[in-house]
This record gives sequence, C-alpha cells and structure tokens, in this order.
Amino acid sequence: MKRPVAVVGVGQTHHTSRRSDVNIAGLVREAVDRALADAGLEYKDIEAVIVGKAPDMLEGVMQPEQFLIGALGAHMKPMLRVHTAGSVGASTALTGVTHVASGLYDRVLTIAFEKQSEGNVMWVTSPNMPFTAPLVAGAGGYFAPYCRAYIKRTGCPPHIGPITAVNARANAGRNEYAHLREPVTLEDVMNSPVLWDPIRYLETCPSSDGAIALVIASEEQAKRGPRKPAWVKSGYSYAEAMWVPGRDQVSPLAGRVCAKAVYGKAGITNPWKEIHTAEIYVPFAWFEAMWLENLGFCDEGEGWKIIDRGEQKFGAHLPINPSGGVLCTNPIGASGMLRLGEAALQVMGRAGAHQVEGAKTALGHAYGGGAQYFAMWIVSSEL
Amino acid sequence: MTTLRNVAIVGFAQLPTVARDLHRTSTEMLYPVVRQALAECGVERDAIDYQIAGSVDYMDGRPFGFVAALDAMGSWPPRQDLHLEMDAAFCAYYAWLRMQAGDCDTALVVGHGKTSEGDPNRVFNLQLDPYYQAVIGLDPTSTAALQASAYMARTGATDRDLAVVAARNRTAGARNPQNQVREAVNTEDLLRTPWAVEPLRAGYLPPIGESATCMILAAQGKAEKLCDHPIWIHGVDHRAELQTLGARDLSRSASARLAGEKACAMAGLRNASDVDVAELHAVTPVEELILCEALGLSPKGSRPAINPSGGTLCGNPIMSTGLIRMGEVFRQLSGRADGGAGARRGLAHAAQGHCLQQNIVWILGSERRWA
Repeated sequence: MKRPVAVVGVGQTHHTSRRSDVNIAGLVREAVDRALADAGLEYKDIEAVIVGKAPDMLEGVMQPEQFLIGALGAHMKPMLRVHTAGSVGASTALTGVTHVASGLYDRVLTIAFEKQSEGNVMWVTSPNMPFTAPLVAGAGGYFAPYCRAYIKRTGCPPHIGPITAVNARANAGRNEYAHLREPVTLEDVMNSPVLWDPIRYLETCPSSDGAIALVIASEEQAKRGPRKPAWVKSGYSYAEAMWVPGRDQVSPLAGRVCAKAVYGKAGITNPWKEIHTAEIYVPFAWFEAMWLENLGFCDEGEGWKIIDRGEQKFGAHLPINPSGGVLCTNPIGASGMLRLGEAALQVMGRAGAHQVEGAKTALGHAYGGGAQYFAMWIVSSEL
Repeated sequence: MTTLRNVAIVGFAQLPTVARDLHRTSTEMLYPVVRQALAECGVERDAIDYQIAGSVDYMDGRPFGFVAALDAMGSWPPRQDLHLEMDAAFCAYYAWLRMQAGDCDTALVVGHGKTSEGDPNRVFNLQLDPYYQAVIGLDPTSTAALQASAYMARTGATDRDLAVVAARNRTAGARNPQNQVREAVNTEDLLRTPWAVEPLRAGYLPPIGESATCMILAAQGKAEKLCDHPIWIHGVDHRAELQTLGARDLSRSASARLAGEKACAMAGLRNASDVDVAELHAVTPVEELILCEALGLSPKGSRPAINPSGGTLCGNPIMSTGLIRMGEVFRQLSGRADGGAGARRGLAHAAQGHCLQQNIVWILGSERRWA
C-alpha cells in the first residue's frame, strides 16, 4: 500500500430469512445509506463503487450491479463487480482498499449483498463442474468430508462442533443485526438432525437476506470524519488451483500463505498474542477449529483444544466471531464483508453489546470456492 | 494528482474466435493462451506477482464458472488473485490500479467463457432489472435496436450509413487471422441481409463466438525485461451509467464521453482523435457511431484508423471482447499487426451492459508516459 487507508463508515441491514418488504435495490440501499451516514458523507462524495456478491444465480439476475447502479449512487462513476465465491465480500472490501491506496481515490464505497430468498441456495451451491460427479448436496455436502478428515486427523472429540454452535448463538444474542439470535443448548444441537455427517442442522449457517457497505477512505479524509476510523494495516487475497495432487482442503495452503502475508505486512509475529479478536468465516461449526489452525493461532491439531478450553468465547483470551459470525447470519455474498466490517467495528470501539474490551487489533477473514479463495485484513485502532 | 507509475502491456495471446469449440472446456481453452503469453515474455508463472480473471457465470450456465480458471492460470503454489464478473478489460484496470498502489509489479489478466453454452440473446435478457425490463422479454438485439432507432432519429443516419460502417469493419476483419468472421463483404451485400430487429440487419451483428485471452502487464523496470516493445498505458478511466433504458439518452453515451475525457486528461492528450488507431467495443455499427461522437473521433474511420482488426462485428467472445481491443492496439503499436506500421498512440475501448451502459477507455503509447 502506497499510503494509509481507513474504514470510515460501516452500515448493515438487519439480516433475516426473507426481506419481502424490499426488493434487491431496497436492500442494498439500506446498507449504503447507513454506511454513508456513519461516515458523515453523501452520495456525491463517493468517487467509485465496488460491488461484491456470490453467484448471480442466487437471485436469478445476471450481473445485478448493472441494474443497481441507481440505487448505489454509481451513475457516472467507476463501478467494479467482484466475485470470488464465499470470500467475495472480503475481496470486495480489499478492492476498495487498493483504490484508495493507489492515490487515485479518496472515498470509495464497497457494498456486498445477497438476497437468498429470491432463489434456491442448495441448487446454486451444487455446481456441476466438468469431469466431476455432481454432489447435488450443497456446500455442506462438499465440506462435510473435510470436517470428518479434520476429526480423524486431530482426534477432535464429537462435542466440539456442538459447543462451537452454542457459543456462536450466545454471541449473536448480543448482535442486534444477526439473523439467528435465539440461544441454543448443547442438547438442542446434539438432538438436531445430521444433515451431512458430521454436520448437524444447528451446526449449519442459515440462508439470509442481507447487505453491508463500507466507506473506505484516505488518511486525510479519515481524520476529517466524525468518528474514529479503523486503519487497514494489511490485506491480501490468495487463491489456489483445484486439481493439485496432495492439496490439503482441511488446512489449505492458500489460507496459510494469505495469513502469513497479512501478519507479515501488519508486523504481527504472534497472532495469538497480538490479535485481540477475529471474525472468521465459519459456515459449519467444525470449521472454527480448522481455521484457528490454518490461521496460525495455534499448532496443527490444537484448534479444537482452544474451543474445548473456551478461550475463543466472548470475554475470554481471543474472542472469535463476537458478532455470532456466519453460523448465525449468512447472506453469502455479504458474509465476507460482514467479517471485515465487524473486525473494523471492534477496533473502532463501536461494536455495541458485542464489543470486545480493549480490541485494538483485529483480523477479518473469509474463504470461498472449494476452500480455495482466501481474503483477509488486519485492522487497527492506531494509524 | 498523485504520481503514477508507468505500466505496460508486455504480452498478449488469444485463441482465434470460433462459433463453438466442441473439444475443450473453458479451462482447456485458457491454458494454451496463458502459456503463450508467458512464452512471449520468456518467463514462467512464478515470475508474475498477481492474477485476475474476467468471466460471467450466466454465460457459462453454471455458478462458480470462474473457479476452474485457477488451474489454467497456474495457481499453484497459491497466487494473489481476484476475479471480476466483468469483461477482462476491466480486470486489466484493476491490475493497473494494484501497480499504482505499489502492491505488485507484474500481472496476468485473463478473459474466458463458453459463450456457446447458451444463447446470449436469451441470457442477456437476465441482465436487465427483474422488475420492469427483463419481464417484458427484452433481449440485447432489441435494446440495441431501440438505441439504433434513437440514434437514427436524432442524427438522420440511414440504413446505408450503418451498412458502410459494418462493411468497413468486415473488410478490415478479413485480414485478421484471429477473427471468426473473415469474409469481406461490401455495403450492398449487407443491405440485402434480413432484419435482425429493425433497424438492425443480421449483417450488422456479430455471430455467437468464444475464445480465451491472456494479457501480461508490467510496471517500468520489469516491463523492459519482459518485452522488446512494451506498450505503455498513458491514461485510463471507466464509468457506468443507469441501466433503465428510459432514463438515459440512448442515442448518446454519456459514460463513454466522460471516461474518454478523463483518460485523455491522464494521457496528456487534448483530443482522443490525436491517436493513430482506435479499437472500439461496439456490438453494432450504431454503437460505433455513438462512441465516435462521444470520444470525438471521425466516424469515417480513416484518421485515426478505427477497428483495423475488424472490430467486434468480426468476433465477439463475451468477456474477452474488450481485452481483445487492448490486445489489438498492443499489436498495432508494437508492429505485430499487418498494416500497423508507424502507429505510435492508440485508444482501446471496452463496454458492458445493454446499450453501452459501462465503458472503459485506455490510451496506449509506444513511449513511456511519465519521466
């Protein structure tokens, strides 16, 4: 990055199963209006707009950003559309960071959304790739074998997924925007049906309608703004090929490389000690343990032990997903930007009831594809 | 204004556009052009810092169509990567921007897609807003015909004027081995072709075609090592406008005009017409005329030469068409194309959406822009 970049505005919708009171444009507009108000800016102040969402087939509109240009205030402005599968919300925010870092833009709007009630998520997340047997089992069907492989590899006991799910719901209860906020007990989770072994119904993310927008700005703009910004210390997106012999989808190399890059650039040598909270992309409960290892918060095989000891709970050593995370809110295209935006809110000190005390450095993380696309940033309360 | 880095196109490869490549997936089509572009630069994939792909799921007829491109791009070990649901010309913009941010020095840009998997005329209906425009069954030929009617009503342009533009493109295109349509036709031939949607004749429109493209960009310091004749980016800008057909003057392109002005300003050009060659992403002759007006180019197409490649009428591999415009200017300025001798500055334009909704304009030159 050639110059400092900050998040100066965050706006999100309340997330829910079906927003039948608004169309797609109304949904994105809600988030954008809130982000601009948060930044103390107006549409005319925005110099470029970057839109991210997951497959267009979720809503049945091809390149919907084209018809949303009016609602996004992008008329006669540069507008780009990002799509990197589940990681897209995060890579969209990073695209905004590049715009400002280049010195060519001072105020950029990034927006990510999904209105999943318009379509059928199971169908959309069951792509039929050439030379591949179609699973027709959605993302859960794809990822469950890797959860099983993790359990076998590390000796992760069977209660880890369930206690992760219980903790996520407890966290979401403190987040007024989260989709699923009702507490669940260990018994509730254990008694919920297995959808894709080992993933139970209550260990699975919901399908949500929702949007989030971030205003990303230069140092000069950030210092003029009404609130304390979140400074972007580093951000990278990495991807890895699909057909590589020996490729490890339990702990993908792209995730490890990306984490190393964001820590290195941000000057972090011990993430477990130097990061105060992390919002990571956990669509199925078992992935929390897997990503703790992949992100270098602990050694291989130790991720589930952090969860077993409760060190990732709200108020504990390293609160993971204090917002409730993807397990409680999943408008797919928006989920990655929600992770990065929630990390920003934490270091701004404006996360409300789920504010982590003393959070000065936070990680935002998302992944997508067949655990191939990774996008992350480190944000800080200090320039 | 911020200090900008000199960035150049150092390699470009494409598959000749065909109606349908029956034997290859989009990944298999992409792989040889990635290899060819790297070979042109004399390097292996590890020498490139960043990669970015342009494609669109709907044209592939499946979600996550772009994921398979990772393999063709050489994504092992993992690479810094992005995918835009856009023509690859917009991907080139983002690669350029990352170089301006100091985040990379070299980038691989690809465009891919199997246009023949579906009927673009049906598929692009789904790009219109789902509440008012898509539901009435508008397809891109019909929206282009509305645009053509609006232009002809305002300017008095005739059917023959359109045929002249199309015939010039077709005549030039017959010499370009990359083209799908390589049969030269004259104005009278085209005037005898049936209406596609009046006032557009079948002869004014490109057929369905597919290809794969790869461009390599490099910043000053690296560019000279990768290429004997790097072609430098002097200016670039892109703009979008409202989709709603009734909310804009379809006979003009306000977004192309603004993008052209901004790109020329960055390039230090008073007028876009000061370039020697222009390649325009116009899917109809009317779009070419609208773009000439918006950019301040003579619609005669001789000074500067417009679409010496034959333009989009001779090949329209969706998601690569715009990047090919840049590639053609690269070929012209670097002496790789027939008849391009002496050209020193060029303009490449790419568009997306119905009726030129989104436009990007590049000014390219054989000399570095900044000291």
